[in-house]
Amino acid sequence: MRQAGTYSGILSGGICGRTGPHSLPLARIKKIMKKSSEDVKMISGEAPIVFSKACELFIEELTMRSWLVTLEGKRRTLHKEDVATALIATDLFDFLVNVVSDSTN
Amino acid sequence: MSAEAPASPGGGSHDSGGDQSPRSNVREQDRYLPIANISRIMKKALPANGKIAKDAKETVQECVSEFISFITSEASDKCQREKRKTINGDDLLWAMATLGFEDYIDPLKAYLNRYREMEGDTKGSVKGDGSSKKDAGGQPGQNSQIVHQGSFGQSQGANYGNSQAHLMVPMQGTE
Repeated sequence: MRQAGTYSGILSGGICGRTGPHSLPLARIKKIMKKSSEDVKMISGEAPIVFSKACELFIEELTMRSWLVTLEGKRRTLHKEDVATALIATDLFDFLVNVVSDSTN
Repeated sequence: MSAEAPASPGGGSHDSGGDQSPRSNVREQDRYLPIANISRIMKKALPANGKIAKDAKETVQECVSEFISFITSEASDKCQREKRKTINGDDLLWAMATLGFEDYIDPLKAYLNRYREMEGDTKGSVKGDGSSKKDAGGQPGQNSQIVHQGSFGQSQGANYGNSQAHLMVPMQGTE
């Protein structure tokens, strides 16, 4: 009887048909994983679950860092340029620099 | 914003609005997580008065896919080196730790363990002979696992060495 509450309370984020208790759809995560490399052949059932949470952490971190840039500019709306600035300023996100360098010249 | 951005889904010509942006819609389903989910998570990270422009959501959406690919590739290399065919959760944790995302490891392990508790409950029993209990410092019972989630942080190194067992065992064969 406690379990239902626990289930929705702890794991939730987006309770809907597509994602179940996870905040991001597992099937979609799996597709993206498979596209990463031709060497990716099999993926354990838990791998997309790990990613559903990891992506959530990643999005939160990226958003918060970007928001600091927004605030520095004394604005209230987070724009792509803020994300770009945050990415470039953070070593951890070096692998993403190409994402923003294409279009933010 | 530049009008021509060939490789970028965030650029290009979709300023006309509409929630489902019309960028290369055939592949979109395969390449990105849904923008509504991403937007929801982003909003949680901001104060109530914060707003998010559409181009920012699309940039984050693209970054998330890059993140998944980045981690997966590293994990996949590891599997190849070890001559294994299946990428499991532990490989991903290892890859994240290797690539600088070690802060994510503890929350992820806690998340996985909670997930397993839930799965165990719905399926009647957890395969793997209660392996997850090791983490709880000998606390028996399932609710204690939830209450004592803070204990994961105590000894990351030790737990991490352990984790292969309980990352792999319970869900094996669930593809």
